[in-house]
Amino acid sequence: MHSSLFHFCQWLQNTRWALAISGSTWAYPYVQMIHFTGLSLWVGTSVAVDLRLLGIGRKRAAPGQSAAVGLSDALFVWNWIGFLIAVTGGFMLFATAASTFIVNSAFRLKVGVLLPLALILHIVIQRKAPIWNQAAERPLVAQIAGLGEILFWFAIATAAASIPYFEHI
Amino acid sequence: MRFCEWLEHTALITAITNSLVLATIVEVLHYFSLFLLVGPILIVDLRLMGLAARRRNVAQLAADLFPLMWAGMALNFLTGFLLFAGDATTFYGNHVFHFKLAVILVAVVFGVVVQWNAKRWGESPAVPVLGRFLAFVSLVLWIGSILAAVEVPSLTSVG
Repeated sequence: MHSSLFHFCQWLQNTRWALAISGSTWAYPYVQMIHFTGLSLWVGTSVAVDLRLLGIGRKRAAPGQSAAVGLSDALFVWNWIGFLIAVTGGFMLFATAASTFIVNSAFRLKVGVLLPLALILHIVIQRKAPIWNQAAERPLVAQIAGLGEILFWFAIATAAASIPYFEHI
Repeated sequence: MRFCEWLEHTALITAITNSLVLATIVEVLHYFSLFLLVGPILIVDLRLMGLAARRRNVAQLAADLFPLMWAGMALNFLTGFLLFAGDATTFYGNHVFHFKLAVILVAVVFGVVVQWNAKRWGESPAVPVLGRFLAFVSLVLWIGSILAAVEVPSLTSVG
């Protein structure tokens, strides 16, 4: 563990606002609400596009316009607004006990490994969707990517739910 | 209360409660399906309010997202019931939990009203004021449901 990172965590959890959240019975749930509302927007819109790539729930596309492209583009803005809300809430939750989180194996796996990989896949999907959908048949790689992204976010939720089990390891 | 005791000790529920892996899977499915349930509702509400996906018409967007919402709701309620069943006697008398269920019930009613009318509102040149208002109420209620849900462990250390 880099000592500078640990010092940052110590500083962060002792900032006035972090102490205010962790020391208050009512503030903490509001921060959780922010995190989960952001995640609903982010995961909900991402999975909607992934399922479309898998060909699940596909409506007949208008001629010349593929349904998946239209949906991915239409949801683009609120997809990333959701991500920013989720990260804001997540950072605030992290700040309440930063030095405990930073040494937690489940948290490190989630934020250090799974989250960056899932984000890369997500951005690839958003960029490639127009190309994949111009093909007469949806390519296998599009279906693998769609399924892969769903599994990635599910794994991230699992890592997050497992954080308490790794508290004293 | 008798029912809660019986429920807690059924073979299926004790199997889940006694297995860390199964209990975690049910918990994660509950969170994940929440996102699939609430995300689509918020997007359609924001669209009706004129704040999201304005290039896509309301009926099209609703057709894209509502099947996912219903699938999310089914999975969310099923896993929610399993989580309740694992600790039924404790949840039974928990007032914050009762409040959570009440908020969700009202949110579902408004969600269904919005869904039934989304197509019709979308066909008029501008979404009527009533439609925008009900979409806003639905949005507040669903975010409120999330808040009520996280208050259960926070205020009562149950769940």
